[in-house]
Amino acid sequence: MKPVGMCRMCLVEVEGVRGFPPACTTPVTDGMVVRTRTDAVEKIQEGVLEFLLINHPLDCPVCDRGGECPLQDQTLAFGPGESRFVEEKRHYEKPIPLSNMILLDRERCIQCARCTRFAEEIAGDPLIDFVSRGDRTQVLNFAEQPFESYFSGNTVQICPVGALLARHYRFKARPWDLATAETSCTTCSVHCRGAVQSSSNRIVRLLGVDLDPVNHGWLCDKGRYGIDWVHADDRVREPHLRVGGELREVSWPEALDAAAGEIRKVLRMHGPGAIAVLGGARGTNEDAYAWARLAKGVIGTDHVDCQMGDGLPAEVVLGVRRAEIDDCDRAGAIVVLGPDPREEVPVLFLRLRRAAKDLGVPLFDCTPVGGSLAPYAAHVARRVPGEPVGADVVELAARTARERGGPLVVVAGRPSVAEAPDATVRSIAAFGALDGVDVRVLSALRRGNVHGALEMGLAPGFLPGRVTLDAGREWFTQRWGGVPAGRGLDADGILRAAAEGRVHVLVLLGADPLLDHPDALLARRALEGVPFVVAVDAFRSESAARADVFLPCTVWGEQNGTVTNLEGRVQRVARRVAPEGTAMDDWRIASELAYRLGADFDLATVDEVTDEIAAVAPAALGATAALVRRARDGVVLPLREHLGEIVVRTRGLSILAEEGAGTSWDPIRAGGAAPAGAPAASGEPAPRTRRRRPVPARTRRRPRTRSSTRTPRASAPPTRPRCTSGTVRQAGPPRPRVTRTLCAS
Amino acid sequence: MGRLSGFLVTLRQYGKKVTTEFPKEKAPRPARRHGRHVLNRYEDGMEKCIGCELCAGVCPARCIYVRGADNPPDQPVSPGERYGFVYEINYLRCIHCDLCVEACPTEAITETKLFEFSFTNRNDAIYTKDELLVGDDGRARRLPWELWLGGEDDDTSEWMRVTSPSGDASYEGRVSWSGELGFGVRPPEKGQAQD
Amino acid sequence: MGLDAIPHNFLTARLEDLVRWGRRNSVFPATFGLACCAIEMMATGAAHYDLARFGMEVFRASPRQADLMIVAGRVSQKMAPVLRQVYDQMVEPKWVISMGVCASSGGMFNNYAIVQGVDQVVPVDVYVPGCPPGPETLMHGILTLHDRIRTGELLRRRAERRGGAGIRLEGEPVPIS
Repeated sequence: MKPVGMCRMCLVEVEGVRGFPPACTTPVTDGMVVRTRTDAVEKIQEGVLEFLLINHPLDCPVCDRGGECPLQDQTLAFGPGESRFVEEKRHYEKPIPLSNMILLDRERCIQCARCTRFAEEIAGDPLIDFVSRGDRTQVLNFAEQPFESYFSGNTVQICPVGALLARHYRFKARPWDLATAETSCTTCSVHCRGAVQSSSNRIVRLLGVDLDPVNHGWLCDKGRYGIDWVHADDRVREPHLRVGGELREVSWPEALDAAAGEIRKVLRMHGPGAIAVLGGARGTNEDAYAWARLAKGVIGTDHVDCQMGDGLPAEVVLGVRRAEIDDCDRAGAIVVLGPDPREEVPVLFLRLRRAAKDLGVPLFDCTPVGGSLAPYAAHVARRVPGEPVGADVVELAARTARERGGPLVVVAGRPSVAEAPDATVRSIAAFGALDGVDVRVLSALRRGNVHGALEMGLAPGFLPGRVTLDAGREWFTQRWGGVPAGRGLDADGILRAAAEGRVHVLVLLGADPLLDHPDALLARRALEGVPFVVAVDAFRSESAARADVFLPCTVWGEQNGTVTNLEGRVQRVARRVAPEGTAMDDWRIASELAYRLGADFDLATVDEVTDEIAAVAPAALGATAALVRRARDGVVLPLREHLGEIVVRTRGLSILAEEGAGTSWDPIRAGGAAPAGAPAASGEPAPRTRRRRPVPARTRRRPRTRSSTRTPRASAPPTRPRCTSGTVRQAGPPRPRVTRTLCAS
Repeated sequence: MGRLSGFLVTLRQYGKKVTTEFPKEKAPRPARRHGRHVLNRYEDGMEKCIGCELCAGVCPARCIYVRGADNPPDQPVSPGERYGFVYEINYLRCIHCDLCVEACPTEAITETKLFEFSFTNRNDAIYTKDELLVGDDGRARRLPWELWLGGEDDDTSEWMRVTSPSGDASYEGRVSWSGELGFGVRPPEKGQAQD
Repeated sequence: MGLDAIPHNFLTARLEDLVRWGRRNSVFPATFGLACCAIEMMATGAAHYDLARFGMEVFRASPRQADLMIVAGRVSQKMAPVLRQVYDQMVEPKWVISMGVCASSGGMFNNYAIVQGVDQVVPVDVYVPGCPPGPETLMHGILTLHDRIRTGELLRRRAERRGGAGIRLEGEPVPIS
């Protein structure tokens, strides 16, 4: 937001300048001498504060801002000790609703214009503005038009007083009894950084935290206010087992034994192909990894899909060269193929809007129906639903990018579930085939942690760390004890097979195919055709209600772990409240089931799972829990390419990039079962699965970095030695920890 | 007398009554004694508590639990937009330090001089708002397990009407508190400066 | 203690009343002063409040001669086993008064070093609030306990539980040899 100098609290004395200019609107010049704490300046600040407080009511005890109010802080620091104002203050009706979510207390407003500027400059929804003059100046929405912006909650967060209030948080808690944990919002796949706050073991609000590469401190209302479900009354708090036709509450061992027993029976009678796993895009990376290991390493089935037939093929998402959100700001051109970003990934819309409007990046709106980005697009090229982007548009975009110099960012998702992903895939392929342009794809799949689940191998034909079954067979057989023989079915295939009676156990990981799958009829027939359904969920959704075993899992806010956003950035999510009932983490459920199936994962804490991922998954090699915890902006996968970008939070950390994969995370080989066009779409050279030369351990250690300084980008990607010692966890019997530490250091 | 003079001390005490016959009488209460709390009401019967949780925030033993809520517009519980929806004090944590009384911006919570109560289980020790709120006569509710002999709630938190804002002596004796149900605006107590 | 073994009839009912009356008027407290509350406990025993009026003036230094433990003060984690041992050495029937908020719930010492409520270690019959409770508050607690002893609720509870600590003997005791 541009400085406007509304509050005038920052008046300073500048040598050679008459009067007292506000610091925020005065540009720094060469040789400028600024005095901020002279007697005159302090007197002025005191006076300005007295003016600000003239009409500000003294209802701090009942104000939701009381305790975290910038005006309170300023008054305490710079204000006069006593008020000389004995006259009547102005009176308005106490909170009036601006929208369903936002309340406005006009008495408290100090007319700083932060909210109106945000609405106009950042969100592009100028729905509130000043009316009247003098002491009657007030912020209001326009008649008959509520302040219904997708980003209205941000105005509450930036309001320096308690004038704008959230109906959601009103009178729920006071700032001093809130416990805070920094986390990432997983409502959509952007993973905006936020601070989740709880009071008396209840999550009461989520605040945006400024993370430069992702959300710039903003959140959308969906993420900010959509947190009450964590404590919803209809959360399932205990495991259930179907006894005599109805779900009955049982103990955990009973439920787990029942699920494992059925899986074992089906394995013996029908083989691993009769077991399928759907979902997993709502948990953490650790959850997805543990389930991938259970499904692929222990059970041996590849009928695993975290998408519900409403996304893009995993080959495309994992195979293409991925863009970061920051690439949009320095892009030569941006092409939006996918859905309306404001609807599906709202904060990405803010970033795209900023790039197009404020930074002047030409934006090509190639969505079939248009939407929120159309006003900011340099070129609007509506494509026919189901058809790829025309060659002329591709050429124009490429030429623009070449001329401006910068990558060509393609934002690609599924425009609607009515059309097949082919059009999007072919469009990406068309861009990928371009020469002389750095084409990067920003996936706009919306589901919470779908990218993390894909990275962790919850997709047919993939293993954790962006490797295909074939490429990672040897490596993972060594670590897991086995991988599926061949590529399995995706969600559509699984449901069709289930409808035909070929799936005997269906595991639903927070998936609700009846509601989520585009073909509801198929989903219905599928669930009717499966004799045994295991649901791992927090709610009794329509599909989960049909489960034979229901295992309640923890949800966001109740679990620690890491998540991966649409650019491949791994960030931590934090546990702030104790789980409802006896709900267990997904990864723990998976390892309990694995134990009952004869495999000991030997995972005790979530950090151990993260470390195992860091040791096993090729693209995430080295992304240990300690590293993710200390990296300020998270780490971007594949880690080897992005090591140089990591900004370490604390002093004195030596990043030990663990290496040793014999496989490659590099883009996936063309051909195979990938849909036509997809692999070529990546425009990448053929994958290199060759084994690399080992390097001495000393060169692997990264130099110590100071906080908030960027380490220089590694000139060449470090090479990976074959793992020979205990740097990587074996899937076999547990090894003594001391040995591993010694080996690693 | 010699060595027998020591016995005189004992003899002089003979016949004096020093023992307080406790269940029938109590020792004299100091004026500023900290005892069981009460939640006060304004003269018109409205509750003074606005549910601001400042008392809960300042409590060193974390024994107060408060939750605020929107005042029902047709039948407000307290003046303003917010009232104390839940108010609980756990007397197995409270150390009677009176910081809550100092923190309260509306003089809603004060302390009586009643200190004779005990419980046979932990749940009984949590006083709810119903038990803490003064009755329609402005007097504390006399709960069956407490020993009231009269006079314990005459001047609740007297010392609050002695101290002055910001320690400024010129405020001493000036009325800066609101009236209470059943008592009206109480007169200032004798200040420390006049002692 | 053969009382529990006698079959219940109208004769024994009167006998029980007599026993309760006796117990109520000769409660012998064990000394268990742990902190500031103990000062108030001493004051309670002295002339101004005079516990002798209730037949309780002798604070026993030996747990075997006492039947009431007044836990007066904060119980640290290290003191907890000692407390429990003293309690176990007392003879049935026995009672516990948790004096003051520290003993009752940890009070303002909400930290790792202090047992958050002595009822995690021994069964408590009466909780006395205050920091510290004055002699009158403690006496109120003692009177509450007397009342409970007199109405016999405690005896019934002990009988159901076979011992105040909730210890049950399973099977016949085996002599150590």
